[in-house]
Amino acid sequence: MPISLDTAGSGPSMKDYHCQTQCTWCDACGDYGVWTAIKRALVELKLAPWQVLLCYDVGCHGNMSDKLLGYRAHGLHGRVLPFAAGAKLANMQVPVIAFGGDGASFSEGVGHLVHAIRSNYPITFILHNNANYGLTLGQASALTRQEQPMNASPNGIPEHTLRSMEFVFALEPTFVARGFTGNIPQLTEIFKAAILHQRCGFAFVDVLQACPTYNHFATHEYLLARCFDANAEGHDPSDLHRAHAIAVDTSRRISTGILYKREDVPSFYDRLVPRKDVTTTCVEEVGMKDVSALWGDLV
Amino acid sequence: MTRISLKIVGASGQGINSIGEIVAKGLKRAGYCVFGYREYPSLIKGGHASYQLDCSNDRVRSAETKVNAVMALNHHGLEHNLADVKESGVLIHLTPEWKFSPEDQKLLRSRKSTVIAIPLEEILKRLGAKPILGNVLLAAFLWAALGQDKDELKALVGERFAKKKNLLELNMKCIEEGFSYTDPAAGRVSVTLPSSDPVWKDHLLVTGSQAMGLGAMHAGVRLYAGYPMTPSSPLLSFIADLQNQTGMVLKQAEDEITAAQIVTGAMFMGARALTATSGGGFDLMSETLSLNGILENPTVFVLAQRPGPATGLPTWTAQGDLLMAIHTAHGEFARCVLAVSDSQDAFDLMPVAFNLAEEFQISVIVLTDKQVAEALYTQTPFDQTKVKVERGKLVTDPAALKELKGTDRYDPNVKDGISLRWLPGSNAATYCAQGDEHNADGTVDETAKNAKEQMEKRMRKLESLKQALPEPELWKIENGKGRITNESPLLDCLIVGWGSSKDTVLDALADEKFGGKRIGYLHFTYLWPLKTERLQALAKKAKKIILVEQNYQGQLGVLIRQECGLEINEKILKYDGRPFFVDELIELIRAKLSFPTID
Repeated sequence: MPISLDTAGSGPSMKDYHCQTQCTWCDACGDYGVWTAIKRALVELKLAPWQVLLCYDVGCHGNMSDKLLGYRAHGLHGRVLPFAAGAKLANMQVPVIAFGGDGASFSEGVGHLVHAIRSNYPITFILHNNANYGLTLGQASALTRQEQPMNASPNGIPEHTLRSMEFVFALEPTFVARGFTGNIPQLTEIFKAAILHQRCGFAFVDVLQACPTYNHFATHEYLLARCFDANAEGHDPSDLHRAHAIAVDTSRRISTGILYKREDVPSFYDRLVPRKDVTTTCVEEVGMKDVSALWGDLV
Repeated sequence: MTRISLKIVGASGQGINSIGEIVAKGLKRAGYCVFGYREYPSLIKGGHASYQLDCSNDRVRSAETKVNAVMALNHHGLEHNLADVKESGVLIHLTPEWKFSPEDQKLLRSRKSTVIAIPLEEILKRLGAKPILGNVLLAAFLWAALGQDKDELKALVGERFAKKKNLLELNMKCIEEGFSYTDPAAGRVSVTLPSSDPVWKDHLLVTGSQAMGLGAMHAGVRLYAGYPMTPSSPLLSFIADLQNQTGMVLKQAEDEITAAQIVTGAMFMGARALTATSGGGFDLMSETLSLNGILENPTVFVLAQRPGPATGLPTWTAQGDLLMAIHTAHGEFARCVLAVSDSQDAFDLMPVAFNLAEEFQISVIVLTDKQVAEALYTQTPFDQTKVKVERGKLVTDPAALKELKGTDRYDPNVKDGISLRWLPGSNAATYCAQGDEHNADGTVDETAKNAKEQMEKRMRKLESLKQALPEPELWKIENGKGRITNESPLLDCLIVGWGSSKDTVLDALADEKFGGKRIGYLHFTYLWPLKTERLQALAKKAKKIILVEQNYQGQLGVLIRQECGLEINEKILKYDGRPFFVDELIELIRAKLSFPTID
């Protein structure tokens, strides 16, 4: 079932997403970049605040939940993906965007990430990746560099760093992108493509961002010096082999852009046999149902 | 009332359920009320399992400990259940060369048991039939012993094997063989049924899980998410099996947290969605329950109880999670806990649960247990006119939506604590369903004033809910029949309980041994918030009060004392995983009644 996009009208403006609450993130936090780019992407897709659902996990990024308008949900740590998936399956007409940090998404909620990708839920997932637990004051996440001293791990962590892109590609994703909060125009385009991919399935967007307070390794300057636009350099997102290669190898340069995309795999919803040819949503179907035909075999 | 009972015993996976189901359906169609009770181990194959049918021409809704006939499909069952045969009962087994021990022989003689050996293997071999067809043959033998019509059985088996036409002929041969088999030593046997009553013919034979599934579908549930866990799994399977007819969205989730979150998201969006689990899975859902508390998001969770702690007794029954359902999850918030007692409740309470959830914007926990989930009930076709969809303060009218402000969503000034709710995708002002403490439009607000206001707003709903919920039902037993009454009679004894033990209590109290006694049974369907006014009024006029529960602590008793100070000292508690059996409960109540009363 397609998302209803009113591409003909004049659409909303950035002002429509404006909210009175002031931002509380640290100066130079990458969250400002995601906050700006997501509003820009929604506006450019001509989606008004009432037409979208933005779902937030718990962490610094989750504090965005009251810094913009739109229908929003700010739930439990690690659990944003199944919440967002449930919301979307109930009403396929509403674009649903889930936001989560690397702390929750690769530890407490990692099981959900595995199954969300393999389920190919028709939702967009934006990973705020600053490689640490910021809100709880800078502990190591599964994506923190192993030797980096952090709060609660002054010697660095004993575990090795999880190779997030190897992990994601192993789950046979249908959309993988990587952005950087220093490049808002590119991030906007990535978000737009990732939202439109909901027509086909699960879009995974890894957003590299600085944590000026706690991540002293991958700083804004570090990322700025290394990120490059792979699509501008001719990368073809349909090339799985190449996409995987440039996604996992961040040793010298870090590829950004739409790294991998395929639209020929049905989403979870489109694979549901009972929903084939159904044009209504579960939300529209609420009402008492006569089930007497279902108990015929029980007499 | 005359009731007879049959018990088929053997190993899990041997086919005892199919024999039980065939005979149950046949008896129901012949005009009997049937109650099916299953016991089985947590194994796919092997172990010891049983399927017991208790039936009568009057209502039967419980099992007895002793039965009129035992059919043992293996040696273990023969030895293990031999003593379950009542006086002058029948013991059927499949090993003609079996030598009973001297003790067993003595017992069989003293009970005047008739022993029948059916050389099943030999007969099947002669017919060229696979062992699985033995089930039909054995069902036919029981059918003949019950004095029933062969053609009825043939029709029934024909339906069951409608899709396996190639097996039909062989099945019919098995019916002939089973029906006509006579033990050379014992001769023909019969288990005498009372006269039939055609009223039962059009009834349904349903498990509590099937009834609950139908109730959920009737309530407009369009999405189900669940993780397999006995005894909630039969509900998942039933809904899944019907999905192509119902068009429902079904998700077998990666864990119970996921199932709870999917349902939370779907309900937030405005659908009706359901999940069910058992104790351990519910533990995992508890954080999500707390989230729904602060989001004021309507949700319904089915908690199918089995004995814990931990894995406990996975395939047995209990009422041990009442206090857990009421207290689990961090923080203070309003919720509703109700419990089903049988297939009727399992159907009827699903629309009620969804209405309460939406009207009060709370989570509703529906307690069931293994006994309800897997027992087979003879059920009047469900009345679908009892409940309408109630969505409370949900705004859907386009003009009304335009008038909304984001601050209407969690307006702390609403008198009953219930603020307006509208759905994502509605053309209206937006808000945040905020898991942090928030003010009226979901903006995070940690000020003391706001925290106090919002807590008080949410907790006011508990008071509003308590006022709206019905008082417990008083059942009075007269001439062996139970009926619900609004009176407050003087009673020799008031029995208090909840959940599936209700059915056994009512069957027990219908026994003639209680003739002449004024006994009432007060049944709590709505357990939180707990209404105690009626109980207190009845308690004043009752000579004795007995609490009947299937847990160690007497959890409803704990709750009653907490809520109104009434201490129920007489308790009949059972916590061994087995349900109350009717004969057992009759004796337990009689023993309590012979105690001197304290005025």
